[in-house]
Parts: sequence; C-alpha cells; structure tokens
Amino acid sequence: MIVPGLLSVAALGFLAGMVLGPRRPRLWLAATLVGSGALLAAALAVLLGEVPEWDWRGTFSLGGERPHLRLDALGAVFLALLAMVGGAGAAYSRNYWSDRDYPRSAGRGRFWWSVLVATMALVLVAANGLYFLFGWELFTVAAFFLILLESRGRNVRAAAWLYLAASHVGTLCLFAFFALLAERTGSWELGPQLRGVAGLAPLFWLALGGFGVKAGLFPLHVWLPSAHANAPSHVSAILSGVAIKLGVYGIVRFSGWLPLPAQAGWIVIGLGAVGALFGIAFAFAQNDLKRLLAYCSVENVGVILIGVGAAMLGESHGQAAWGRLALIGALLHVWNHGLFKALLFFGAGSVLHATGTRDISRLGGLWTRLPWTAGLFALGAMAVSGLPPLNGFVSEWLIYLGLFDAGIEHGPVAWAAMPVTIMLGMAGALALASFAKAGALVFCGAPRTKRVAHAHEAGPWMLGPMLVFGGACVAIGLAPAALWLLLSRAAAAWNPAWAVAAENAPSSLHSLGIAHAVLAFLALGAALLLWRRARENGLRRGLTWDCGYAKPAARMQYTGGSFAGVAAGWFFWLLRPERTVQRPHGLLPESARRIERVPETVLEKLIGPLAAGVLRMSTAVRRLQHGRLQYYILYLVAGLAALGLIVLWEGSL
Amino acid sequence: MNDTLNLLIGLAMGLNLMALGSSRMPSLIRAMSVQGVVLGVMPLLMEHLSWAHLNWPVLLVAAATIAVKGVVIPRLLNRAMRAANIDRDMEPLIGYVPSLLLGAGGTIAAMAVARSLPLLPEHAGSLLVPGALASVLTGFVLLIGRTKAISQVCGYLILENGIYLFGLLLIHATPLLVEAGILLDLTVGVFVIGIIVDRIQRAFDSLDTRKLTVLRE
Amino acid sequence: MMMTFVGIVLRLALWLLLAPLLPGIINKVKAWVAGRRGPPVLQLYYDLARLWKKGVVLSTLASPGFIAAPAVGWVAVVGAALLLPLGPAAAGVSFRGDVLLLIYLLALARFCTVWAALETGSAFEGMGSVREVSYAVLTEAAILAAVLSLCVHTGGLSLTTILAPSAGAGAALLAAGLFTVLLAENCRVPFDDPNTHLELTMIHEAMILDHSGPPLAAILHGASVKLLLFSVLLVQAVLPLGALPPLLATAALAGGVLATTVGVGLVESLLARFAFKQVPFLLTLAFVLCLFALLVAWKGGAA
Repeated sequence: MIVPGLLSVAALGFLAGMVLGPRRPRLWLAATLVGSGALLAAALAVLLGEVPEWDWRGTFSLGGERPHLRLDALGAVFLALLAMVGGAGAAYSRNYWSDRDYPRSAGRGRFWWSVLVATMALVLVAANGLYFLFGWELFTVAAFFLILLESRGRNVRAAAWLYLAASHVGTLCLFAFFALLAERTGSWELGPQLRGVAGLAPLFWLALGGFGVKAGLFPLHVWLPSAHANAPSHVSAILSGVAIKLGVYGIVRFSGWLPLPAQAGWIVIGLGAVGALFGIAFAFAQNDLKRLLAYCSVENVGVILIGVGAAMLGESHGQAAWGRLALIGALLHVWNHGLFKALLFFGAGSVLHATGTRDISRLGGLWTRLPWTAGLFALGAMAVSGLPPLNGFVSEWLIYLGLFDAGIEHGPVAWAAMPVTIMLGMAGALALASFAKAGALVFCGAPRTKRVAHAHEAGPWMLGPMLVFGGACVAIGLAPAALWLLLSRAAAAWNPAWAVAAENAPSSLHSLGIAHAVLAFLALGAALLLWRRARENGLRRGLTWDCGYAKPAARMQYTGGSFAGVAAGWFFWLLRPERTVQRPHGLLPESARRIERVPETVLEKLIGPLAAGVLRMSTAVRRLQHGRLQYYILYLVAGLAALGLIVLWEGSL
Repeated sequence: MNDTLNLLIGLAMGLNLMALGSSRMPSLIRAMSVQGVVLGVMPLLMEHLSWAHLNWPVLLVAAATIAVKGVVIPRLLNRAMRAANIDRDMEPLIGYVPSLLLGAGGTIAAMAVARSLPLLPEHAGSLLVPGALASVLTGFVLLIGRTKAISQVCGYLILENGIYLFGLLLIHATPLLVEAGILLDLTVGVFVIGIIVDRIQRAFDSLDTRKLTVLRE
Repeated sequence: MMMTFVGIVLRLALWLLLAPLLPGIINKVKAWVAGRRGPPVLQLYYDLARLWKKGVVLSTLASPGFIAAPAVGWVAVVGAALLLPLGPAAAGVSFRGDVLLLIYLLALARFCTVWAALETGSAFEGMGSVREVSYAVLTEAAILAAVLSLCVHTGGLSLTTILAPSAGAGAALLAAGLFTVLLAENCRVPFDDPNTHLELTMIHEAMILDHSGPPLAAILHGASVKLLLFSVLLVQAVLPLGALPPLLATAALAGGVLATTVGVGLVESLLARFAFKQVPFLLTLAFVLCLFALLVAWKGGAA
C-alpha cells in the first residue's frame, strides 16, 4: 500500500505544481518538493526491500489499453535520482530563474518543470508500451520547452530544435521498437516475461539506437552539447543528470527484459569505451564551461555503458561474479553522475548568473567573490574526475574490478575487458585534466575581465541544493557499502538469476570505505596543521612571483585554449579545431588574435554534409513541383502510361 | 630450445618496434641489421646442432645470412647514405607515435590471428608465425609511411625478414637453397640501390621518393 | 586491532623517514659521475627542516586552497605508499582492488598540485600544469597496462598478491616500461630537469614556483615519497620477493631500490632532457612495453 500511496501523493504534487506554477511560485515550490519527496520515499521503499516490487493493472481502459504500472528496484534507482534532482532543481530555480529576473518565462518554466518531472516518473513506472511511449514523448517535449525558456538567443533556438529533431529520430526508432514488440508478442505489455519470447533478440538494436540518442551515446550525441550548454542551468542539470539517464534506463531495462543478440554485450562495451574516451577528449578542448560539462556527460554515459556492457557479457558467458560487480558499478555511477553533474551545472549556473558569461577564458579568480560556489565546484570537479575519497571513484572502482576480474579469468571477454580498462584509465586522466581546467581556470588566478571582478555570490536557494549534492557526493564516497544492498536488489531485478539472498557488501568495499574515511580525516587534519604552521611561521602576501616578473597581468595567464593545447593536439584527427589566427606584425604590433573553436565534429563534418547532400537532392526533385497545371497533367499521363506498361510487361512474362 | 627461439623472436619483434620508432636513418639501419643477425642465428637453434654431426648447409646459410644482413647490407646502406649526403631525418608520412601504435597493435593482432591458424602442433606454441606476420606488417608500415629511398629499402628488408621467418617453418621440408637464393638477390638488390641512390641524388638533389613521381611521363 | 595499528604506524615511519634519502643518493651519483663532491646525501632532510621553520609568502591571488592542496596531496601520496607491501612485511592496508586506489590516489595528488599551481595565475605554473596533466594521460595507460599484466600473471587483484611473485617472462619488458614511467611520473630526466634554472623547460618545478615554507616542505617530501613508492613498486613487480626467505627478500628489496635510484642518477648524468615534442613518443614506448608485458603474461597464462 505504501508505494501506490506515495506515488499518488507525488502525482498530486506535480499536478498541483502544473496548476500553481505559472502564478504562485511559493506554493509551486512546496508542491514540487512534496511530490519529489514522495517519489524519493517510494523509490527508497522499493530499494530498501520494504516492498519488493509494485505492480498495478487498471481495471479500466485508457486510450485503448489498460494502464499497467510497475516499479521494481531497477526503476527505483532511476526514480530516486529523478526525485533528488527534480526537487533540488526546483529549489535552485527560485533564485536562479526568478520572476524578478525573468518575468516572461519564469512561470512557464515552473509549469514545464512539473510536467517534465511527472512524465519522466511516468516513463520509469510504465509497464505498457503505449504508456511508455506517451510518457517518453511528453517528457521530450517538456524538455524542449524548458531549453527554449530563454528564446531570444539564436543559439538557444538552434539548440532546442536540434534537440527536438534528434530526439524524434530516437523516438522513431522506439516507435518501431515498441510496435514490432507488440506485433510479435500480441500485446503492449512489458515485463520480464518478454525474455522467453523467441525472435525478439534483433529488436534490441532498435532499442539501443532509440535510447542511445537520448543517452548521448557517442556517435548519436550530436544534440547534447548545444542543448545542455544553452539551456538554463537548472534545466541543464536535470537534462544531464536525469534525462540522459532515462536513455540509459531504456538500454538497461530492455537488455534485462529482452533476449539479447550474441554481439550485444560486445557492441555496448565497445561503444561505451569509445564514448568515454572521445567524449572527454572533446570536453577537454571546450572553452565554454557548460559545453565542457555537457561533453563530460557523454564520457560518463560511456563509463556507465562500459559497466552495462560488461554485465551483459558476464551474463552471456555465465559469469555472475564480475558481471554483477560491473552492473552495480554502472548503476552506482548513474547516481553519482547525476549528483555531481547536477552540482557542477548548478555551479556553472551560479557563475553564469554572477558574470553573464560561460567562456572559461573570460572568467578567473572567482573564488574571492563566490567562495561557496568555488569550494563546491572544486568538490564536484574532484568527484567527477573519479578521485578518492569521493563517490565518483567508488563507482569507477567497481566497474574496474569487474573488468579486471574479466581479464584475469582469461576467457574470451578478456579481449574486450583489457583494452577497455586501459581506455577507461586514459579517460580518467583526461577527465582530471578537463576539470583541473574547468575548476581552476574559472575560480583561481586573476579575474580576466572587469565583469568578473564585480560578481556576487549565489543566493541561499542556489547554494542549498549544491550543498546537498556536495554532501551526498562525500557521503557515498565515505560509506559506499551502505548502498550495496540497494543496488544489488536492482541488479537482481535486471537478472533474477543474480539475486543473492541477504547478501552483505564485499569486504573490499568496506575496506575502501574505511580507507576513504581515514583519508578524508587525515587530509582535513593535514590541511589544518599546515595552515596553522604557516600562520605561526608568519604569513605574508605578495605578488605572484612569476620568476621575478615585476608586473604580472591577468592576460598572461593560461587560457582554456592554451591549457588544452598539448593533449588536444593528440586528438587533432578527431577534434578538428577551427583556428582564426591574426599574427602580430611589425615592431610594435597593434593587434593580434587567435580564436580556436572545436566544432561538434560528428554533427558538422559528418551529419551536416550528409544532410546538405539530401537537401540538394530534394531541391532537384522539387523542381518538378512548379505549379503549372499542364505539366501536372503530363505527369499524370506519363505515370499512367508507365503503370500500364508495367502491367503489360508483367502479363507477358 | 623452443624457449630460446621464442626469446629471439620476441627480440626481433622488439626490433620491429625500434625500427618503427627510430627517427634517424642510422638507428633504423642498425635495428634492421641486428634483426638480420638475430634471425640468422635461428636455424642453428632449430637444427639441434652438435659437433658430432654438423649440418654443413644450414651452418653455411646461417653464416651467410648473418654476414650479409648483419654486415654487408648495413654497410652498403651506410655508405650510400654518406656518399649521397642524405639528410638523416626521416620525414615520415605516418608519425612515429602512430607507427609505433600500429606496430604494437599489429603484433597483438598477429598473436591473435596465429592462434586461429591451422598450424602444425609443433609450431603451435612457438612465436614463429606471429613474429613473421608482425615483421611483414612492420615492413609494410615502413614502406608506406617513410619517404626516403633508404628507409624504404630498410622497410623492404624487414618485410623480407618476415618472409624468412615463415620460411623457417618449412626448414625441414625445403633445403635452405631457396633462402640462399633470396639472400643473393637481396644483396645484389641493395647493391644496385646503393648505386642508384647515388645517381638519383646527383640528378635530383633529393632522395625523396615522392619527387620521383615527376618521372612518370 | 592494536597490532595492525602499530604495524601501520611503523610502516608509516619507515616511509616518511627513508624517502628523502633517495633524491640525496641521486644527487650523489650525479656528482660522482661528474667528478664533483656534491651535496651531502642527507641534504633534503636539512632542507625540509629549514623549510618547516620558515614563513610563507602567499600570492595575493591565492585562496586557502593554495595551502590545503599540498597537504591533501601529501596525504594522498603517503596513503598510496601505505598500500604497497614492503617485501616480506605485507602492506599496512590491503584489500581486493587496492591497486586501483593506489593509482587514483596518485591522481588525487596530481590534481592537488595542479590546482595549487593554477591558483597563482602565473604563466609558468600554467605551463607546468598543462604538461603534467597531459603526459599523465599516457602514463596512466602505461601503468594500467603494467598492473593488468601483473594481475593476469598472478590472478590476484590486491597489491600484496600481485607483487609477491615475479612478473615472469615479461619481467624485462615490465621493468623497462615501469622505469620509464617512474622517470616520467617523478619528473626526472629525460622528461623534466629538476636542476635547470629555466622555468620554460620544467614540469614539476615550474608548478611549485610560488610555494614556500611548510607547504613547500610538504610538496618536496611528498615528491620523495612518490619516488620511493615507484622504486618499491618496480622492484617488487620484477623480483620474486615472495619466494625468498624474509631476510633475503628485505635485502633484495633494499638493494633493488638502491639500484633503481642509482639508475635514475646515471640516466640523469648520461642523458639530456628530451625536447617536449619527443616526450609523448617515449611515453608511448613505455606503454607499448607494458602492453607487451601484458601480452607475455597472457600467453604465459594460456600455456
């Protein structure tokens, strides 16, 4: 009874939010928070095993189908994340997108936020193909309107339309997927019973394509960077933290429910590894703070898919031990990425709010003005780089363990596991580089522009959610074993054969948690000790030494472009940066400039030309359509004649 | 015995990588010649030589291989290089890091491929086939990725070393006469190239094979 | 419980006290090759003691992170060191997968150094940071390949199990690869020149230009612990210490570390620093060496 009750409360909360949103911001926030809290409670009830699984079929018919909802541990993992980011984002928007700053769009934003969270929750509990598609489409549209909140900018509109177009390519795949599924099974019902149906395996590819677009799987990620960069930051946070996870959810869900083709695991782990490495290479080269974060999402989805792919391989090769490790790592990374990416996007939002620019090379030295944001962003940067003792390391560690075990086992999977391990390590090092750049260049050093020098700290409603997420990152890092049981329930929901009754976390995870706690404690202690020692010995402020240069200036600092120079050069073949260089001339050069832009290569170099070709062909065909009646009649006659000829020819055969 | 052989083949594989990674002509020539010597020793190991019954033809061919590949050819190339006053940089078309990674990837691929080949059981554990494949691949990478005439010769010689390794598989079936013939051809070939290099240098002031395309008319 | 705690404290003391010896030995070797007398072997100890008593000059731009970062980095390196077994004396802390924690703790230390460097807004320190984070991408690949080879060879996943036997047939490859990684990670010649006075050519030294006093002491000490860590790792990966009687194993470990240190000194005396363009090539070579060690381990496991 507890789960349906809580879900009803949540539904009521979000419905109230939709009604109240446009006019009553306070009541809206209260309703949304209540709804999110109820969602979180429902998810936790399932994850903690109070209610193993909730399954509900309506006795009435709605839209030709009887509603069928179910919530199992796997869905609950994603639902919990949705509830956290949904609630926190709503709180964040109170300061960030307030009626005072955005009188035209704030109300609209609140309405669509409620719609977005509610429909995403619907997707997560739908167990009927039609309802799933309905929720999916609505949430896509809601996200579109949220991206478009600030509709004055040309970039924003272009990004929103690109998002909508790409999403619908994905939705098209999903329509085909669900329709074929319904055709082959005779009903729209979804569930583990599909696993036994023969002949469904090839449908997995359609699902991978359709959900892959939403998840930002590497070659299908083209919509993601511009949409995440141009959306308001709280929207970016939920898009990056949760919306793309729904794509991951689709892949995980249906890889559990469908019989899998033999190559599926290999393809998924390969796509994941490529996505992780290439995504972070793109991220490193970006100079737009939010674009960098967006590309980093591509990387993290890659990391999650590495875990999922390893789990699929483990399942098909009958290796439950490391398959489970990898899957649990992947699911934990879903949470972790949601938490620290939302934190980072909130941080980027505060920076944008305070300075009006996202360009890393125009920021700098913000820590004096935004100390809280700076500290929390640094924490998020460490978490996303997978550094101990924070949560990002725990999930990557579990995935690594799965891969290492697969390699040690010396089976055929090792040929995938070993190169993927190395690629994951390189991606990790690049992530560190990217976030040293994103964090330190924005918040440290000297302010690069005037505007930065007059920035202001974010309001309490903006800092609160960031504090919550920062705290969650630390908590998961210090006590990872506490989550094991929850996530192993989700793994059991994915593959019932992997269910282990009343199982404790592996002792190594406990040890890791203890090591993390000791480390965090010692690091804190050492920092305090060093600070005290420095104070005792005498602390003097002076200009940055800079090898004795007397007048260091802000413009002498390394910029985003120059920071990425070395490593981005190695990925030149992939990134294809466009450079505009105006060299200095003469003795006292007047001006010189160098602008570097890293395009979205897949979109601009691959899909763009392809689309241009299609357009050219279509314009050629369009010449037939000119409005002269005589010619149309000629077409008719020619068509009829051709048909007649075909019929005659067929008859003569 | 097999272990020593595998060690030598491993060494030859390492020399392949060294050849791919060397940015200077002399070091490329050195890698190639050391590889020749290493390969020359192999038939001695395979034939289980003992003083009681010496296998003269094998001994002879091994000595000839070592002498020609280890001493004569490198010397010829070095002399040609000096005579033609060649710039010692390689001007690669495929950079050193990509070549190195190509070579490493190729070696691993060769290992993987060799496992699935229908080999005699006595060759299954040995590195002969992967070594041969890797050397052939290295040769091709050098031939494709380097522009200077002499580096091309080195690429060709490493490719030939690969073929020689394949030949060792058949050491019991074919007399080493074929190998001897190849060796002779090689020596003559390199000799001729040494002379031609000198001529080309005088005629064109360059040994860049890319520029030889103007001769196509 | 008490015993483990005492054991950890003893190991900690060993690591902290012995580490500053290594740079001294390297400098002595370099002086000896050059025919000079050189600074005393204990020079770094004197330096650390002196720095600990000195005041701090803080850049006007620096935040408190500028002092916190060296502390966190130092804790990370020392924590990583405690994960390593010391020959017959097993590691202070050991669990399945601790090897990954070691790698990522070193990454944490790197993050801290780079962050602190960028706090000052100096171009030189930016330059050093860029090099540090970029080359780390390649060394990370090499280290992971090396660790994989050890894991595949031994079938274990904790440092204690994978380091006890020798690396087998691929030991030579692994030794060469790990030695190159050691040079790169510790910013020695031919990757970086710790002695030069031209900031343009440095990596590590360029990053810590603005540090002074106790934080600088923490950084220098951390760097020496890192050097010792890599030497111990290298020696244990290559030598079969687990198969030797305890006393001999200890002697072998000490001798190996000493030999490695002398090796670093010799490399430094005989080789010039490479141009930065060549560094990726050398690191790729290290990666390929470790990769081949992995291949050998794989083949060995199959047979």
